[in-house]
Amino acid sequence: MAGPLLRAVGLTKRFGNVTAVDGLTVDVHPGRIGLVGANGAGKTTFFRLLLGLTRPTGGRVEVAGVDVAHDPAGARARLGYMPEHECLPTDQSAADVVATFGELAGLPRSAARQRASEILDLVGLDEARFRPIDGYSTGMRQRTKLAQALVADPELVLLDEPTAGLDPLGRDGMLDLVARLGDFGISVLLATHLLDDVQQVCDQVMMLDAGRLVVSGQTQELLERSGVVLIEVDDRSDLLVAALGQRGVHARTTDDGAIEASLTDDQQLDTIAEVIADLGLPLHRLTTRVGSLDDVFLRRAPAA
Amino acid sequence: MTAAGTVYDRGYRPYDGPLGGRRAAVAALYRATLRRALGFRRPWRQKFLPWLLLGIVTIPAAVNVGVAYVTRDTPIRDFEIINYRVYVGVSSSLLLFVALVAPDVLCPDRRQRVLSLIFARPLSGADYVLAKLAAIGSLLVAFSLLPQIVLYVGNMLVDQDGALNYLTGHADVLWKVPVAVVLLALYYASLGLALSSLTTRRVVAGASILGLLLISSAVAGILGASGGASPATAAVNLLAIPLYVRDIVFLGHIHTVFRLSEFGGGEALAVGVYAGVVAASITVLLWRYRWSEA
Amino acid sequence: MSAGARVQVDNVSAWFGQKVALSELTVEFGPGVTGLLGPNGAGKTTLLRIVTGLLPASRGAVRVAGGDPRQDATVRRVVALVPEDEAVPGPLTARQLVRYRADLNGLGHGGIAAADRALDQVGLTGVADRRLEGFSKGMRQRAKVAAALVSDPQVLVLDEPLNGADPVQRVKLIALFRRLGDDGRTVIVSSHVLHEVERLAERIVVLVNGRLAAEGDRRAIRDAMVGRPRRVLVRASTPRALGAALVAQEAVTGVTVDGDVLTVATARAGDLALALPRVARQVGARLREVRPLDESLESIFRDLVR
Repeated sequence: MAGPLLRAVGLTKRFGNVTAVDGLTVDVHPGRIGLVGANGAGKTTFFRLLLGLTRPTGGRVEVAGVDVAHDPAGARARLGYMPEHECLPTDQSAADVVATFGELAGLPRSAARQRASEILDLVGLDEARFRPIDGYSTGMRQRTKLAQALVADPELVLLDEPTAGLDPLGRDGMLDLVARLGDFGISVLLATHLLDDVQQVCDQVMMLDAGRLVVSGQTQELLERSGVVLIEVDDRSDLLVAALGQRGVHARTTDDGAIEASLTDDQQLDTIAEVIADLGLPLHRLTTRVGSLDDVFLRRAPAA
Repeated sequence: MTAAGTVYDRGYRPYDGPLGGRRAAVAALYRATLRRALGFRRPWRQKFLPWLLLGIVTIPAAVNVGVAYVTRDTPIRDFEIINYRVYVGVSSSLLLFVALVAPDVLCPDRRQRVLSLIFARPLSGADYVLAKLAAIGSLLVAFSLLPQIVLYVGNMLVDQDGALNYLTGHADVLWKVPVAVVLLALYYASLGLALSSLTTRRVVAGASILGLLLISSAVAGILGASGGASPATAAVNLLAIPLYVRDIVFLGHIHTVFRLSEFGGGEALAVGVYAGVVAASITVLLWRYRWSEA
Repeated sequence: MSAGARVQVDNVSAWFGQKVALSELTVEFGPGVTGLLGPNGAGKTTLLRIVTGLLPASRGAVRVAGGDPRQDATVRRVVALVPEDEAVPGPLTARQLVRYRADLNGLGHGGIAAADRALDQVGLTGVADRRLEGFSKGMRQRAKVAAALVSDPQVLVLDEPLNGADPVQRVKLIALFRRLGDDGRTVIVSSHVLHEVERLAERIVVLVNGRLAAEGDRRAIRDAMVGRPRRVLVRASTPRALGAALVAQEAVTGVTVDGDVLTVATARAGDLALALPRVARQVGARLREVRPLDESLESIFRDLVR
């Protein structure tokens, strides 16, 4: 596949005088991408545009090189979709539902049944898969939803709030699965308002606000502030700041008792370690990851 | 000798097999809908009613054949509890079947919001309507045809003068019945599905199907009794429209209490209303499932 | 502004038929923000309902500000609950909802001003006269919080209050709850989103299967979980040399190497922290990153619940 996984050029969608997606231009590469924004920021509309369920008012979008407006079925053939809302028929079993959806995507009957079985193994639904979905817990339903999105071997799965309603263990399990999908070569577009999920699992981030792309890039790069390190010792931070100052390292204490140092070059890392060792302080934390995606979002997004 | 061992990675396997397009998808949806309507892979409670109705509707045929067999030595001339034309009729069993099955294949998909998943597949709204219509249509055809077959074959076997004789004597039935059955099935399938597509609740859909048909029949009866028979009053009887069409197939004219054929253009009116109902139903369906603007 | 009241749960058990939701639970909640955590079915919602008087305890006693939340009307006025799944009446505006709650609580004339204050606290003043049915999930949640705040409760109980809120609203709500806690109110927040509870609460209470699994400051809880080795991620310029030198340290129980990343397991995190800069200097390794892997609430929770 030549070209990026997703390409949007001036993508716009208006409903009357509401602009749901506004001039979105971005190239997305294979991997795990977080799509972040408030409810109403345009995430769901973006998914519908990708699935060809709605036509853009302006611009265009391509999925794996396929222009969605010209060939929506072709785009859908490369996508898997896991909606946020309840969407499973409750009186059938997961095995039946996933196999049927495989057939609907064009798989021959036996292949659909086989793949359904393998995918249900992958998501961790054991004997429960033969019981009606009616009796499933939220976690099992989410996994079934994910399974039907994977059965036709998509290049990209669109996940809408996959950890909604799950307790911490369930969330762990789901994020684990999502991470593994990346290992299997399936790209993931994870729409959520939980920045921590994105931080944990996604290597790229797209943030939407009122339909506009306000931030996009590699998660790692967004989180790191070059030249700044965060240090945690014990409660003698002031001592360390003073000592560092004497050695030419600019540092200050932060609100929660940590230390932020601005480095002029990498060698100063050695200086920091020396000073800490000399003072006999315990080094609990040293990192260039200064902050979380929350901060990145707040710094860039206009105040709501 | 060194021993060899291999560990296989049971992770994810990509799919390299053949992938059917829209046609395969429509066929798959057709099959899945049939399964659902007949209650396969579902708790036995769902299987019960459709099959019961089918059984009930076949009873007259079985009885007819049974009686003919039992009395074969003392023939009752031209005995017929039921003839083919009347049998291609609207029994209450048929009505109940439609009112049961049509909502069941449309309403839950909408109610449980499964449509979001279905239309994320390379499938259009028209494909969905086609598959559902074909499935319910097929079921209605089978439902109506089975008793006919029982009757015909039974009569053939019981005939005094031999099966072949029966065949040649009743050859026209062999085309009239299927044609009439298909026309009937198309009418009720499209009407039943169209009404079902308007609501998310099966009970409401079923009630409205029965209600619309029975009430229009009653209204036509009232109008006819009070104002005298006329094509207009007969046309209101949505329940009976397909019967008029059936009559045209069997007899070449409409045979009813009102003797509609006496009025000029009775046949054309019946056919016109029939076509109108089917066209309107399909339009409603396509409109209700216009899931994608694309 | 009123000082928080203590919530005392004393040997409380609760069962529904065969299911035992809470089992001999004894715990206290005081002024400040406390996070209530636990897997699904652990009994959190049951505990919250008992504390707010909606459910009786099958056994044991609950005291809120010294009174029984089920019997004492005065106690009920002091407690406000923001439940997770309660729907809001669509045709009402936010202001109407909050004023209605003010009336219910007998605030009379003062209710109007109190309602405005509450709406201001949650940042809904601008949209206060719009109907709730037009609100997003996050805004509805905030309206519910305002309705709870209008009676100026000493005890505020919140079940998944951040559900559906966007990142900007989450930050504002977290700040609001912390403020309320700092003011001296007793705020109990039940949530599955552990990263947020981390930012919100100094103290946590963890329920598993209806029993108390842990309570207190999360770092102190972690320290109290002895016997489970702590892991620290270390990225350095000469990882193997550093790793070898670290293994020689008494505090270190194991070292895993993956590229330039070392995962160091230790039974004594403090000793490792002291040794690390020293040892790095000795072998001439440049430390690029040092990060404890088990300190998050996520990892504490996982270890507690397994």
